Amino acid sequence: MLSYLCRRLLFFVPILLGVSLLVFSIMHLTPGDPAQIMLGPEATQEDIAKVRQALGLDRPLAVQYLVFVSNLLQGDLGRSIRSDVPVWDELTSRLPATFLLAGCGILLAICLGFPLGLLAACRHNTLLDTSSSMLALLGFSVPNFWAGLMLMLLFSIVIPILPSSGYGEWRNLVLPAVTLALQIMAIIARMTRSSVLEVIRQDYVRTARAKGLRERVVLWRHAVRNALLPVVTITGLYFGILLGGVVVIETVFSYPGIGRMLVEAIRSHDYPLVQGGVLIFSVSVCAINLGVDILYAFLDPRIREQYSGARGRRAAA
Amino acid sequence: MRIVVRALVAFGLCLLAVGPVLAGEQVLRVAQVADITNLDPHRAGDIYTANVIRQIYNNLVKMNKAMEVQGDLAERWTNPDDKTWLFMLRKGVKFHNGETLTAEDVKFTFDRMLAPASKAPGKRLVDVVATVEAVDAGTVKITTKKPFAPLLTNLTRYEMAILNKKAVEQGGADYGKKPVGTGPFLFREHRLGDRVVLAKFAGYFEGPAKIDQIVYRAIPEDATRVIEIESGGIDLMFNAPPQDFDRLAKNPKLAAIEELFQATMYLGMNLKVKPLDNKLVRQAINYAVDKEAINKAVFFGRATSSYGPLSPSIWGFDPGLKSVYPFNPQKAKELLKQAGFPNGFECVIWTDPRTERKSVAEMIQAYLAQVGVTAKIEIMEWGKLLAETGKGAKGLFVLGWTGTGDADGGLHIRFHTSGIGKDHNRNQWGTAELDQLLDSGRTTMDPAKRKAIYAKIQRILVEEAPDLFINISKNLAVARKELKGFELFPNNINPLYGVSYGN
Repeated sequence: MLSYLCRRLLFFVPILLGVSLLVFSIMHLTPGDPAQIMLGPEATQEDIAKVRQALGLDRPLAVQYLVFVSNLLQGDLGRSIRSDVPVWDELTSRLPATFLLAGCGILLAICLGFPLGLLAACRHNTLLDTSSSMLALLGFSVPNFWAGLMLMLLFSIVIPILPSSGYGEWRNLVLPAVTLALQIMAIIARMTRSSVLEVIRQDYVRTARAKGLRERVVLWRHAVRNALLPVVTITGLYFGILLGGVVVIETVFSYPGIGRMLVEAIRSHDYPLVQGGVLIFSVSVCAINLGVDILYAFLDPRIREQYSGARGRRAAA
Repeated sequence: MRIVVRALVAFGLCLLAVGPVLAGEQVLRVAQVADITNLDPHRAGDIYTANVIRQIYNNLVKMNKAMEVQGDLAERWTNPDDKTWLFMLRKGVKFHNGETLTAEDVKFTFDRMLAPASKAPGKRLVDVVATVEAVDAGTVKITTKKPFAPLLTNLTRYEMAILNKKAVEQGGADYGKKPVGTGPFLFREHRLGDRVVLAKFAGYFEGPAKIDQIVYRAIPEDATRVIEIESGGIDLMFNAPPQDFDRLAKNPKLAAIEELFQATMYLGMNLKVKPLDNKLVRQAINYAVDKEAINKAVFFGRATSSYGPLSPSIWGFDPGLKSVYPFNPQKAKELLKQAGFPNGFECVIWTDPRTERKSVAEMIQAYLAQVGVTAKIEIMEWGKLLAETGKGAKGLFVLGWTGTGDADGGLHIRFHTSGIGKDHNRNQWGTAELDQLLDSGRTTMDPAKRKAIYAKIQRILVEEAPDLFINISKNLAVARKELKGFELFPNNINPLYGVSYGN
């Protein structure tokens, strides 16, 4: 297991290098010069050239990228072009906010989506099933920026109990987390429903029932546990999409996280800041995927067996 | 289980009861569109940071709302000859770190900004300065390379804020995180992406402010800013969306404030591109477009049509300027016929992707089509648009110009032939007469004579029509009714020293 973990962690390096190269190329291929944007329409070409030189933007692209990578390997992400603040400071001050939001969002999505899907599966083809499916469909189809604005209108103006934007108190977190959770909740609910329905028709479930086990035991021990695997997979996969949602929701709710930072950095062509933000997102997605793979082992004895089996084989060889 | 639920509910209710109210302190919560970048005035280049810098620092001289230059850190100034300026500093002015302001600080500030390696965005405004000397502790002497009348106006800009030598040297590369000024509010905290907190400076030389604390929050989304002011989450918002402005003005709890901006939006023309070299064609384009309709459709009425290159809030604006090109498609067609284009011609309009600019370009496209001119819109990213129009546009382009607050900043850089092919003469055009007038506008020190020069320049530009001057939009702000003493400035950089809650 440990060697597997190490191997997976080692894979992070080429992935992150690939991502950084991709982002670097895209940022430099998009037209627009950060020095020109920073100095505005009224600066002279001479001023712009000076700033470009000071920022090292006048050097060949390959050199710029190599400088970036070698600094990165030394743990230096550079300074923001626009604000001159070290990128590392910017990331560390915003990361907790984004993790808090994403964490609460996914937790909320699981806590609501899973029971909803389970309920729909158990009461298959009843009014409860249809209405929970409708709810899920609605949650999935509504664009999250619109849902955010509507929630804001409802809970900040019509029933003024929650602040519409900002950061710092738990009250600030409620609306963005709920908005963020909506889509994933819908997906988890749908996934849970179909996967429980599939499992519940299997022979072993019928056997369990025939043995005279109580329905609750049949459901939780035999059906749900087997139905969990696809749900975990989809939750892990959608984490990346969740981070995409963070970008939109942080902007709508003026939430000081990495997502909003990225939007602003892209707008002002702040290369170092964009690189830093994207790298953090990539690391998070890789880590979550790894976490999901490890979670499989806990949920599925067959996969657990594979790991220990591999170790056994290697020991024999 | 039930006990746990009850405990959770009780805990939740307790949290709800603790509101965000800070007892006893008068806090002003301001919403801006973006977070600040860097509170070092030699580093910041955006209006949101400029607004915060305005509260923390003072300049040698300042501008009041009517755009007249007044003393700030300098009590008096004299202009013994055309190239020498003497500024007599106020006595006993304290910085936030306890240091007393001296002429050395002023000299240090300008030397730092003008140093060859400096990236200060304000450098270009004072690059005419040759030396800054501290004559004695209370007198500063500024010598310019040539006579430069707009100097005083340029010194009022936020980029020229006076720094404390000791604080800057101590702060090093991260000075912007611990800014020290002489202003009515001192820096307390910056939470990246979220807020900047300023506190009242008890030792301010004009007496302490009435507000104890200012919280500048960054709320990028228009709709969110509007909801925040309606729900009482903030006390003052800048950049109110024009489509919501009338509705907010009707809210009995709110006051809606508007003020003409300094920037003029225009449809620029590259005169090196045929047939735009023909004056009749340019005038025809001017007649073809209904500016009032643009004001209504794109700006929801929160804009005024321009008759010339300058906003009325710029020093040197000629109030005698009349509307020379009223909307008249018939006249436009006649002029095109006279110019030899009875069936119109084809051209390209460049714009950046902002909705407002794009809509303006589309309306102009439709108006030009009415007189037979087929315009194709090409959208390019902001930075690229600036660079490409500097080198020479393919034809027409939509742009705005803010300038410096003095006519020179809006005219010299744009219409002097020295800027052709680079920099800012995006029309790629000029005349010897115009060059001579623009230069003498800089070197003539007598304000009345200067005004006459700029009036003449404005008339020439309207006649020659190198641009279609479209309109001047309004700065829109919304404040809570209780807020007293707030003034919206034409440059949208608004001092908050005089603001109080009316008690």
